[in-house]
Amino acid sequence: MKKQLKWYKSYHPWLFLIPTLIGLFVFRLWPISYSFYISFTTWDIMTPPKWIGFQNYKELLSDPTFYKILTNTFLFSLIYVVGVMVVGLFLAVLVNAKLKGRDFFRTTFFTPVVTSAVAVGLVWSWILAPKFGILNNFLSSVFHINPPIWLEDTRWALLTVAFIRVWKMAGYYMIIYLAGLQEIPGTLYEAANIDGATPWQRFKNITLPLLTPTTFFVFTIAIIDSFRNFAIIYTMTRGGPENATNTIVYSVFLNAFQFYRMGYAGALSYVLLLIVGVITLINFLLKKYWVQYQY
Amino acid sequence: MKRSIGLFLVVLLFSVFVLGSIAIAKDVVLKYWMWDPQLTDEVNKLIAKFESQNPGVKVELTAMAPKDYWTKIRIAASTKKLPDVFNMSSGYLEEWAQKGFLKDLTDYVNKDIDPEKYFINLFDAGKAISGTDKYYAVPFALVTTVLYFNKDMFDEAGLSYPNSNWTWDDFLKAAKALTKDKDGDGKIDQWGYYFYGRYANVEPWIYRNSGYLINRKKMRFEPNDNAMEAIKFLISLVKEHKVAPMPKLMSGMKAKDVFPRGLTAMWIDGSWNIRNNRKVIGNKFRWGIAEVPMGPHKADVEFGWPDFISMSKYTKHTDIAWKFIKFASGEGLSLDMYMAGKIPSYKPLALSEAFLEKGKQPAEKGLLIKMAAKEMKNSFTKGWGEWRGYGGAEKMGLNGALDSILNGESFDKVWPSAVKYINKVLARYYK
Repeated sequence: MKKQLKWYKSYHPWLFLIPTLIGLFVFRLWPISYSFYISFTTWDIMTPPKWIGFQNYKELLSDPTFYKILTNTFLFSLIYVVGVMVVGLFLAVLVNAKLKGRDFFRTTFFTPVVTSAVAVGLVWSWILAPKFGILNNFLSSVFHINPPIWLEDTRWALLTVAFIRVWKMAGYYMIIYLAGLQEIPGTLYEAANIDGATPWQRFKNITLPLLTPTTFFVFTIAIIDSFRNFAIIYTMTRGGPENATNTIVYSVFLNAFQFYRMGYAGALSYVLLLIVGVITLINFLLKKYWVQYQY
Repeated sequence: MKRSIGLFLVVLLFSVFVLGSIAIAKDVVLKYWMWDPQLTDEVNKLIAKFESQNPGVKVELTAMAPKDYWTKIRIAASTKKLPDVFNMSSGYLEEWAQKGFLKDLTDYVNKDIDPEKYFINLFDAGKAISGTDKYYAVPFALVTTVLYFNKDMFDEAGLSYPNSNWTWDDFLKAAKALTKDKDGDGKIDQWGYYFYGRYANVEPWIYRNSGYLINRKKMRFEPNDNAMEAIKFLISLVKEHKVAPMPKLMSGMKAKDVFPRGLTAMWIDGSWNIRNNRKVIGNKFRWGIAEVPMGPHKADVEFGWPDFISMSKYTKHTDIAWKFIKFASGEGLSLDMYMAGKIPSYKPLALSEAFLEKGKQPAEKGLLIKMAAKEMKNSFTKGWGEWRGYGGAEKMGLNGALDSILNGESFDKVWPSAVKYINKVLARYYK
C-alpha cells in the first residue's frame, strides 16, 4: 500500500486546483477588485481612468433619482422574494402530492425558469399591450372594466415587472422546496393523522418548522436573485415610465454600456454589493432564532 | 535514416513557414471595422475589387452589430490597437475627434475629393459635428427624416397628398379629417398622425421652423422660441386636437410597425424605415413620402446625419488607408449596399436611375436626393444618448420627459425638471 502512494505529495491537490483558481481569480476576483478601484475614477473606456476620489459616491448620494432607484430596487426585491417563496412553496406542495401527471406539472412549472428572459419579456409585453394585448381585451369585453396600461402606468409598472419575474422563477424555488419537503419523514405525518390533525395543522406544525433550513436557503438565494432584474426590465420597460422600473442593476448597465461612465457605474454596483452584503449578514446572524435542523 | 528524414521535414516546414511569413509581411494589411453585419457579403466584394486594383494590399474586414461595435472599438482605442479604417457615426464623431483618436483628413479631402462627385455639404456637416475646423471623417451614406403617408387613407378622405409647400395648418386639417372611429365602438381606430418623444419624430419639426435645441456657444440646452413653438404644436396634436394617440396606447408594438400596420395615416421618422415599410406593408396599401411641413418660421433645411468612415490616428499606412476610404465611400460602392432609404454621398450612385427604384414604393424616392443637397441640422453632442434619451435610456432624458407630457402629465410640471437634468448632463461634458 505504501509503495502505491509514494508519488503523492502534499502539494498535489493544489496543482489540480490551479485551473479553477486561475478562472476564479481572472474572471471574478480581479474584476471585482478592479471595479472597486474604478469606482473612485472617471473612465470612458477609451482614455485611461482618472482618479477623482469620492466624487462618484457624492454624485450618487446627491441625485434624487438615485433614491427613487434605491426605493424601486427594494420594492422589487420585496415583491419578488415574498412572491417566489409563497408561490414556490405552494407549487411544491401541489406537485408533492401523489397525483396523476405530477411529473408533467413539475416540468411545466419549471419551463419558464429555463426560458430566455428576453423571450419571456417580449411575450408578456404583447399579452399586456393596451391595443391588441389579450389581457386588456379580455378584461374589458368580459368584465367591462377599463384596465390600466400596465407597463406604462407609474403605479403598476414595477409591480407588473416583478410579478412577471416571479412567474418566471417560481419553478426554480419549487424544486428546492420539493427537495426539502421530501426530506420530511412520512412517519411524522402518519403520527399526526393518528392524533387527528387537520391538513392545516399538519402544515403549520410539521411541514413549516421542518422546512426552515430549506426556507433559509431559499430566502438567502431569493434576495440575491432579486437584484438580477436587468434583462426583464430592458425588454419590457427600459426603466420607465418616469424611472418607475429603474433599479440599481439597470442603472449600472445604462451608465456603463450606454453612457460609458464606468466609474459611476462602479460606484452604483458597490452600493448594491454593500446592501446585499448587509442583508445577507443580518440573515445569517438571525438564522439561529428560527432555523431548526433535524440533525 | 528515420531521424534524418524527420529532421529534413522539420527544416522544410520551418523554411516554408518563414518564407511564407516574409511573403505575407510584404503585403500591407489594412484592418476595417464596420457595424452592418448584414452587408458583409457586399463589403467583401468591394474589398476584393480594391485588392485587385491594389496588389500587395490586403483588407481584413470585421463586422459587428452596433450594440457590440461601440464597446469593442472603445476598448481597441484604449489599447491603441484600433483598426486602420473604421465606421464612425454622427453621434460619436465629436468625442472621437476631440479625444485624438482620428487622423486629420483635411489635406486628403481638399486634394482628392471632387466636389462634382460628392455631396460636399455632408463633409461640412461632419466638420460641424466634430466641433473643429478639420475633416475627421468621410461620409458614405446619409439618412434624413421624411413624412410617410398612407395614400389609400388620403384618397378615402378625399384629401390631396402632402407636398413640400404644406404648412402646419394644412397638416392639422388633414390629420383631423384622417382621424376616425371606423367601427363605432367609441375608440379611434385610425389616427391622423403617430409620434412619441423620439428624436426622429420630434426634431424635424423644430429645425424646419428655424428652431434649435442646443445653444452651441454655451453648449447648453436652451431651445429658442421657434423650437418651443414646434414642441407645443406637437403636444397639442395629442392633448387638444386629439389627432395623435398618447404614446402609451401603442406600447407593446414596435414604433416602426404602427404606420405599416395601418394604424396611422401619417408618420415622421428616418428614411431608413422604407425597408421595414416595404416588408410589413407589402401590397396592402399604397404609401408615399414627402418633406416634413415647414412651420410659420420657415427654414428649408433637413434633419439628417451622415454615417462616416474614419482613419485611426495610429495607422502605419496612411496613404493606402486613405485610398481605401475614398474607394469605400465612393467608387467601390454599389446600390445594393444601401438599405432602402439610406442615401449615398457619392453622386454617381445617388443620381443614378437605379436609385429611384421605379416600380417599388415609395414612388417619390427621388425626393431623397433633393433633400440630400440641403443643409443638415441635428442636435448631436457628447453624451447625446444620455440627455436625449436614446436606446436603453429611452424612457429618460428629453424623450422620457416628452412622453410623460404626451401621456397626460402637465407640461409645466415636467419641462423645468427635464431642462435641469439635460443641462446637468451637458455640464459634465462641456464645462
